[in-house]
Amino acid sequence: MTRPGADPGVLISGAGAVASTGAESGEIYRALCAGRSGLAPLRGFDPSRFRATHAYEIDDRPAPGVDEPMRATRWLLEAVAAALRDAGLDEDLGDIPVLVGTTLRELRSVELSWRDRTPVDPRHLHFGAALRRRFGAVDTHTVANACAASLYTLALGVELLAAGRADTVVVAGTDTITESTYGMLDRCYPEAPDRVRPFDRNRRGMLQGEGAAAVVLRREQAGYTGPVLARLRGVAVNCDAYHPSAPDAKSIALVIREAHRRAGVGPAEVDLVMLHGTGTPLNDEAEAEAIRDVFGSHAGTPLMTAIKSMLGHTAGASGLHSLLTAAHALRAGRVPPTLGITDPIDEIADFRLVRDTAVASGDALRVAQVDSFGFGGLNAVAVLEKVA
Amino acid sequence: MDVVVSGLAAVGVGLDSVADLLAGTPGGGRPATGGAGPDTTPDGGAPDGTARPADPTRRLSGRGMRYKDRATKLALLAGRDALTDAGLLADDLLTVPGESVGVVVSTNYGNVDTVCEAVATIAEHTYLGTSPMALPATSSNVTASWLAITHGLRGANLTLCNGATSGLDAVFWAGLLIRSGRIRAALVVGVEPVNDPVRYVVGGGDPAARPRLLDGAAAVVLESADAVRERGGTPRAALGPYARRAEPAAAVAAVRAVESRPVGLWYPPGPAPVPNTGAIPHAGDGPATPDGPVCAGVRPDEGAPAARVDDLTRRFGECSGALGVLQCAAGAAWLADHPTEAVLATAGTGDRGGEDAAAALILTPAGTP
Repeated sequence: MTRPGADPGVLISGAGAVASTGAESGEIYRALCAGRSGLAPLRGFDPSRFRATHAYEIDDRPAPGVDEPMRATRWLLEAVAAALRDAGLDEDLGDIPVLVGTTLRELRSVELSWRDRTPVDPRHLHFGAALRRRFGAVDTHTVANACAASLYTLALGVELLAAGRADTVVVAGTDTITESTYGMLDRCYPEAPDRVRPFDRNRRGMLQGEGAAAVVLRREQAGYTGPVLARLRGVAVNCDAYHPSAPDAKSIALVIREAHRRAGVGPAEVDLVMLHGTGTPLNDEAEAEAIRDVFGSHAGTPLMTAIKSMLGHTAGASGLHSLLTAAHALRAGRVPPTLGITDPIDEIADFRLVRDTAVASGDALRVAQVDSFGFGGLNAVAVLEKVA
Repeated sequence: MDVVVSGLAAVGVGLDSVADLLAGTPGGGRPATGGAGPDTTPDGGAPDGTARPADPTRRLSGRGMRYKDRATKLALLAGRDALTDAGLLADDLLTVPGESVGVVVSTNYGNVDTVCEAVATIAEHTYLGTSPMALPATSSNVTASWLAITHGLRGANLTLCNGATSGLDAVFWAGLLIRSGRIRAALVVGVEPVNDPVRYVVGGGDPAARPRLLDGAAAVVLESADAVRERGGTPRAALGPYARRAEPAAAVAAVRAVESRPVGLWYPPGPAPVPNTGAIPHAGDGPATPDGPVCAGVRPDEGAPAARVDDLTRRFGECSGALGVLQCAAGAAWLADHPTEAVLATAGTGDRGGEDAAAALILTPAGTP
């Protein structure tokens, strides 16, 4: 039963996504390639309460300045439905497991209820009830693993397939912005960030984004002829056990190495790195240091990009947003840029970071590494492979 | 690979130890050292107005505690006790490599207080009224994070916020992570705090709601049987099958199809009437006796005595995400004196109880395949 080493063959057979820049996985990827950002003035919060003025929100509220509960749940259902359609599955899930990564669950609904004294249903804090109603799903799990949540749950999905508990697993992530997190981030930074500028010397910190993403995983089996977006070669997870919010470069290097080991690839074989890239001083330096440590003389080999510069930090969905971008990039041979880098930090001086405009790489892209890190020192790294 | 329970702990207001969990178990009773008893008020105090039982978090001190939420404090107490009970802590230091030990926390209301207090503060005083020290606690994984930091547990770290079944789900995931070889041991903690925002949310948004709630935590250490043997630890129970289904009956049937030995003790999901569909016994109003409710799914053996039934929520209030872990801690302790039987833990009432699903998990005596 123990598998020392490699993860089993897993196919990503369908995808769905929602974000500030689009309501479909392909649409979001094309917008990223076009350099379109979802940054906008705050839509759902009273702007007089904050110093920061912007976020990467989904523009679906009933009226400007009027917030409503249950938005994270709505996007999750949209993303899962789209992933099922894409995979050629019907919406009746039954015992097919659905694993949902999230940072903030429906805590925005709790905030609205507590502040405005409106009713709240405690059974809707997690996503099981909505998944049950819409898809008949009963084996559902809400995993609150901060901003590494959706790639962490991806690892759990791989283990369900490896253990033979399922042939098909849906893995998703979803998050809306809470005022509590937005306000305390605002309190933390010396200056309010005006946008997310990963790896730029003048970056001021992270701004949150909203969205959801879902993938359908299938154990790779001979004779399968259905749709395939990419092959998932491996996912590694760990925990720094160091600090509740600051990252640890050594621990990040360990998880990258383990992802490579599980995937059976070496640094020289990685063609694309989807950076976590939050635009906070601590993350960007730790991530760059870890990559330099693992990749050594190959640090300048893979193309790299950080999509939070256009989607904001979509938290529990961010890992899958990056993973889907990687899957599209492997297929289309085109890597979206990182926006906002005018003066790169020294730590990435020799990295092939895609800047300003998308880079066409043709067939050269075969293997992609996807980074996702979160509060609590949670780290998850996935390795994807192009399917011919 | 066999996974076993190697350490246990429970702590809370009116809950001093695992022995308290067993104190009301028919046929499993050990002397109680505390226990809120079935007739406590929502605050945990006795109905005659006598003092509320001691708050165990007062045992924690030091400047590091100032910004930790209540759920984290309760979890730290239970976590340390369980790791110590397992023999994985010596002089407060981990005796095995930190990267081999994971953490799985189950909680539904753990950080509701931080979020509610912050949104009220922002409405009144703008973001400037908040403390940046509380930022990590706005994310629901804060408790698992502090458990990892406190003991240097660098393996996979999960937080299940999965409704009524969450505690059993957490135990399942810990077992799967061990069986997969990702970790060799996991500290599983189920915790729910009680404070005004939690009462409000559990009450559906009624500021006057005073639901009776557990204010505490339970913890179990799960390990591969090999790891426990190698280090000379003591296995208390073996982890059996788990299932999450639409109804309790379906979840029980699924686990019983894999593990069919006699169930000696059944932990029902709670006091809400669970429809007796023929696969599980009705919780009824009290413990089952040999003449009490029996069902084919749980007790198929002709002529055998009925399973004892112990609804932990009767004594400790609604336990939410902590329930499944409380059941596993109690069940593992009970198995020490019942080496031929199995414990059936169930959480979530499913469709007919208005919840999205129900989960079932079986524990068997340690050392039996």
